[in-house]
Amino acid sequence: MVHEIILTVGLVTSAFFAVYLEEPVYAVVSLALMNIILSLFYFSLNVPFAAVFQLAIGIGTVAVLLLTGEMFTRKTYTAQTIRKKLLGLVASVLLSIPSILSVGAMTATTQSSGFSISSALWDLRFIDVIAQGLVVLTIALGIAMILRKKRSDG
Amino acid sequence: MEYIILSMTLLAIGIYGLTTKYNMIKLLISIEMITAAASMNFVIFASLLNDTLGQAFMILALSVDTCMTAVALAIAVVIYRKLGAVDITELSKLRE
Repeated sequence: MVHEIILTVGLVTSAFFAVYLEEPVYAVVSLALMNIILSLFYFSLNVPFAAVFQLAIGIGTVAVLLLTGEMFTRKTYTAQTIRKKLLGLVASVLLSIPSILSVGAMTATTQSSGFSISSALWDLRFIDVIAQGLVVLTIALGIAMILRKKRSDG
Repeated sequence: MEYIILSMTLLAIGIYGLTTKYNMIKLLISIEMITAAASMNFVIFASLLNDTLGQAFMILALSVDTCMTAVALAIAVVIYRKLGAVDITELSKLRE
């Protein structure tokens, strides 16, 4: 109960700061923090595969990608004052109140699933996994083409 | 079902960022937040209905979302090289 409230406040606050902060580096760090808290939420819901995947993709890939993209671009933001940041903190805590009330009122208990994630992936969604592999390959080739064309221009 | 309010809050924050920010990286962060809210619904329902298929869908959705982020970042870097800015209000200059 208490840890769910702490996770809820942390999740909403980090999500709000990821959008609210003007400095892109801090915003990406806040997004990574949101992904960590989200994966902790998934662990508390007893869905460990989703939690590990969220942790690996959210922090290991997306945050690194966004930081790399930010590194390639110029900083054009204006720094926020401490007062504005505190205002954002108060706003995010207020924003998390409905979630706290609803999570606190939750009475249902969750249980782990009966059959494995690998059978769900490879038996039920086999075509989806193959199609997604093709999509990822196509996207990788597309990114290579975008950057290669630019290099040949320059 | 109570966690749905939490995912709705995340969705609202993402939409707020999408409508008020002009930096492309901030817009990508907002889109990430919206997809996190959507995938959270998959996980919540998978947990409540005791079904692992929701987790499988979440894994598939998150992979495609990461690819989308990679493509958008590549486009943002190319736009920055061309225009010298990642502000979406400057994108109309690409027509010239």
